[in-house]
Amino acid sequence: MSTLPDAFLRALSESFPADFCTRDPDELQELGRDWTRVYAPAPSAVVLPRSTDEVARFLALCNQHRVPVVPSGGRTGLAGGAVAKSGEVVLSLRRMNRIGEVDLLGNTVRVQAGAVTEAVHQHCAAHGLTWPVDFASRGSSQIGGNISTNAGGVKVIRYGPTRSWVLGLQVVTAQGEVLELNGALEKNNTGPDLRQLFIGSEGTLGVITEATLKLTRIPKKLDVFLFAVPDIAAVLRLFREARRAPITLSAYEFFTDRCLLRVQRHRGLRSPFDAPSGCYVLIETEGGDPETMEAWLGTLFERGLVTDGTLAQSLQQAQELWALREAISESLSATGLPHKNDIALPIAALEAFCAELDAVFAARYPGWEICLFGHIGDGNLHVNVMKPDGMSKEEFLQHTHAADAALFELVQKHHGSVSAEHGIGLLKKDALSWSRSPAELAMMRTLKRALDPNNILNPGKIFDL
Amino acid sequence: MKILVTAKRVEDPESKIKVKPDGTGIVQEGLKYKINPFDEIAVEEGLRLVAKHGGEVVVVSIGGKEVHEQLRHALAMGAHKAVWVNHTGPLDQMGVAGLLQKVVEKEKPDLVILGKQSIDDDQNQVGQYLAEWLGWGQATFASKAESFDSENEKNKVPALVVGADNKTVRVVREVDGGLATVECQLPAVVTTDLRLNQPRYASLPGIMKAKSKPIEELIPAGLGVDVTPKLTVTKMSAPPARKAGIKVPDVATLVEKLKTEAKVI
Repeated sequence: MSTLPDAFLRALSESFPADFCTRDPDELQELGRDWTRVYAPAPSAVVLPRSTDEVARFLALCNQHRVPVVPSGGRTGLAGGAVAKSGEVVLSLRRMNRIGEVDLLGNTVRVQAGAVTEAVHQHCAAHGLTWPVDFASRGSSQIGGNISTNAGGVKVIRYGPTRSWVLGLQVVTAQGEVLELNGALEKNNTGPDLRQLFIGSEGTLGVITEATLKLTRIPKKLDVFLFAVPDIAAVLRLFREARRAPITLSAYEFFTDRCLLRVQRHRGLRSPFDAPSGCYVLIETEGGDPETMEAWLGTLFERGLVTDGTLAQSLQQAQELWALREAISESLSATGLPHKNDIALPIAALEAFCAELDAVFAARYPGWEICLFGHIGDGNLHVNVMKPDGMSKEEFLQHTHAADAALFELVQKHHGSVSAEHGIGLLKKDALSWSRSPAELAMMRTLKRALDPNNILNPGKIFDL
Repeated sequence: MKILVTAKRVEDPESKIKVKPDGTGIVQEGLKYKINPFDEIAVEEGLRLVAKHGGEVVVVSIGGKEVHEQLRHALAMGAHKAVWVNHTGPLDQMGVAGLLQKVVEKEKPDLVILGKQSIDDDQNQVGQYLAEWLGWGQATFASKAESFDSENEKNKVPALVVGADNKTVRVVREVDGGLATVECQLPAVVTTDLRLNQPRYASLPGIMKAKSKPIEELIPAGLGVDVTPKLTVTKMSAPPARKAGIKVPDVATLVEKLKTEAKVI
């Protein structure tokens, strides 16, 4: 635990409530890390503000004393963005979890940063509305974290990422100034959109304290299908068909048999199919005309595009099918040590990329267990390499780090991204230059220095100055 | 052998169920429906028995045209044909059992399997009435000795075993504090408990094949059954909302509260 300046600590105890700051070892352990289990948490304190005013006064104080701060939400991130490993103070927004009334004319809701995603969903569902950003960690993740990481998830193919569903932001700057950005405006062409600057900046440019979220109607009827197909080429062939079909796709997810085996081992969930298959595709469609849909499904079997398939007959079955996909990340971590990559490709390049991917695996990971899954419908692929039994963690990390270069080279060749939705955080800093040009990196550094000259906001995340 | 199974249409428990403010029923707008989960287990058990012994599974449902959804679901799972008793309006358990009795007399199955109860009004009476009125043996709450979460689930001794001569059925049933095994002469009525099996998913080829399977329509008047309810629901109300829990600072306070407030120690 590093030491904080005395004057800073004095000001903290004089100007803030008694329970504003804690140095309880359990809290430091817990709040000092996210779902990335690579780094040892070592924050020097945790603060738990109740209002924007407290956040503003606190950041001004940190800026004055050059105390580094890690903004912290539900800590479900997978790139170490919310990890405090170097004596930073964790600024947890969890007490600021108020959800305002739903504006039924504007279809918006104002929430504080610490509101849990699922709580926002439930709050809006009472009015037949939803904030359509959704993913497996909805029960823990918080709105502020979703926004500062521009979270993706399972509905991006239908609705786009978080960025598309934030109308207004309240942001506290490193100097403790409070910015109200864009209010609840759908249209606002008055110069550069500062709001977008903070979305996805992983807490390095400002701390998000409130947001006005854009809502949409909950779809009336969703059909959930699971298909069995032999391989990734078949996953992409089916995707080509699904894109052209007379249906509205709200999810197109895939996973390999390896993933399913791990899910079955960890969660005891069952496969709907009698025989295993190389890959599985989960398709969710919105309110289609049953007859058109059935005609389309019939052709899939006739033309041999799928080997088996099922359609959920109840909400419970739909949830069971979704669970097969959503339990993967958790099951991989619970049954082994995965090395995770979260890459994005232009959709048009997916087929060529996947064809070359096998060669990379064969050269770098001969005989290793590779678990592939992802939101392939929006070009997002999760590549998980499992640590072989008997190999030390150090040797494994060294090997995967070296092998990543081959993967990223391929990603770069196809104009993809080394981090589709997980962000850069600490984990992918070395990989950033595969996706961003030197000119882009220089511009990002210029922005960071201009907004946070003392480098107190989540220092060392995304890039080093 | 011929097995008759039931597929009652009930509210999907995953959809949000609200009681109407005037207490006359539940709000039906926006609700989803499915096969009563206990009946779904009955369909599955029927299919497993037929897979082993040969024969056919006939599925029956009572209700308006909308119950075709549930019949098609059972047909998609693999049932061979469906009987639709076309009736709208309230029915009590005796009305249901009376209609089923007529369907049984018409179809002449060797075995009737139905859910032990439906999850909408939780009566747990139809199977018993039906067996009594038919004069058949009954084995209620058919269940399985072990959890079916394990990998060996498929290899375990099934809870429903038809005798080698196709004249008896041995049923493991769940009772307070353990399991009882009973043997019935066929034909018989068996009702299913939750742990009997895990129903299969309907495959897409199965769903498409179900389109062309026959659904026979019957009407209560034609069956000669008076279904006027002897039982009426006078009022419905939601259970009282649970109070939020509280946190206590230490064990001493907890013990104190258990003594003075909860009065459990």
